[in-house]
Amino acid sequence: MLEFLIPNNVLCHAVEAMLFASLGCALLSVLITQMNISSIGFTMSHAAFAGGAVGAFLGFAIIPSAIVISILTAFLMGPLSDRTRMHTDTTLGVLFGTMMAVAIFFIALMQGTGKGFEASSLLYGNVISLYREEIYALALITILIIVFLIAFYKEITAIVFHKRIAEITGIKVRPIYYGILFLISLMVAISIPIVGGLLLYIWLVTPAAIAYQFCNTIKRMFIMAPLIAIIISVTGAVCGIMYSLPVGPLTAVVFSAVFVGSVAISPKRKVVFHKH
Amino acid sequence: MTGETKNVILLNQVYTTYEGADLPVIQDVSLQIKPGEFVVIGGPNGAGKTTLLETIVGLLPVVNGSVQVCGHDVVRDGCAARKKIGYVIQNYDFHPFTPFTVEEIVLMGRYGKIGWLKRHSEYDLDKVTTAIDNLGLTLMRHNQIGKLSGGQQQKVLIAQNLAKEPEVLLLDEPFSNLDMITREEVSNLLCEIADAGIAVLIVSHAFDALPNRTIRVLVMQNGKIILNQQSDPSDVESLVRTASVAA
Repeated sequence: MLEFLIPNNVLCHAVEAMLFASLGCALLSVLITQMNISSIGFTMSHAAFAGGAVGAFLGFAIIPSAIVISILTAFLMGPLSDRTRMHTDTTLGVLFGTMMAVAIFFIALMQGTGKGFEASSLLYGNVISLYREEIYALALITILIIVFLIAFYKEITAIVFHKRIAEITGIKVRPIYYGILFLISLMVAISIPIVGGLLLYIWLVTPAAIAYQFCNTIKRMFIMAPLIAIIISVTGAVCGIMYSLPVGPLTAVVFSAVFVGSVAISPKRKVVFHKH
Repeated sequence: MTGETKNVILLNQVYTTYEGADLPVIQDVSLQIKPGEFVVIGGPNGAGKTTLLETIVGLLPVVNGSVQVCGHDVVRDGCAARKKIGYVIQNYDFHPFTPFTVEEIVLMGRYGKIGWLKRHSEYDLDKVTTAIDNLGLTLMRHNQIGKLSGGQQQKVLIAQNLAKEPEVLLLDEPFSNLDMITREEVSNLLCEIADAGIAVLIVSHAFDALPNRTIRVLVMQNGKIILNQQSDPSDVESLVRTASVAA
């Protein structure tokens, strides 16, 4: 898609992948942080990680396997919390641990069967060896997220503000909420080969956390978070490939550094003192 | 000859429960409310007052009986019913940096009526402006809700529900965060709303700011309505106290 700008094919694929992954993840990060569903995002990213690991071990394609497990987990979380009559965070803690255990178990098995490279890609991502179809799929999911956000913007913002008040207003909260979970699970699953199961969570939280330091309205967060994510991710991809550094971990570290810097200079932390 | 006015709220032998509760929290409650009635619900803590409001809004499972609001069964057709109900909740806690302005939040009151895939119209914005002005929030219109005081936040939520143009307005402890002057302002506003034909139900422990009009008093105890009668505002407190003590 961007070959006319970047003649180097490997770099072009990496930039395209990072562009779409960061755009989609950053938009979802606004919802994840403002709806306080970070633990859901965390669990789903590890569910996709486990799905990818099981799929790779059994010889299936990573992305479809990750999508299936991730979506199953998304639709298991609500009923499981209700049935166990425990706080959602507790249920998610159990699910997260289980998913992590499954992923590590199969990755350990893969190391012994000559699939070490695939295991490593699952853990840390690999932007260099992506297929064109994977980038198209990523672009498609990102467009789906944008369309969903535009189409249901008012319902989404009302739910982000206060789920119960949104329900009282007469909004059908459940379909929108499950729609958001579905999109998170799709995005998470499709981003695993790019940024890796262990690092994906950075993309799902940090862009919004940085934007939050400077934005007073949700609309501005939806604009600023993707811009920040794109700049950091594309820069990370270019630097990583130019200097032969691992792109995923490098970008994740830059995200964290920018977050620390943003907290330090955030206008939200200034103390006004008028001496009159 | 005019026919009898229809009830906007109709509860018939309702039992409501929370998941995991040993007994229904609301037990055998039957109630009819007509348009323009002003109802005060009193009783001790844990009597089921808030649960009754949430049952009317359709937020809790009804295990027996039926709840109808404006002709809609809230169990089967909750969304349609909720488009006609305003409900100002009691417990809310907005973070100082909640990224929403007063105007945005009041406009959210219209979202259910606007419907899927549609944008707000000039009419919606007019309703928002009127509600904001009525609650004295004009100067705070573009402020973030988290930066306002508890009383001002309460006024924003009341404005949100007024912008909705409800046929039934439920308020849980509407005076709890308000100072004396604002209590009277809100009380007068609620009186005007009831006079305009909207049924107003409030759960309250503060009876000193009730509007000067006929009030229906409901007293609840252990999930049941133990008193249901008309009263003057000045007698409401003694009625609630007497009924609660006698029970």
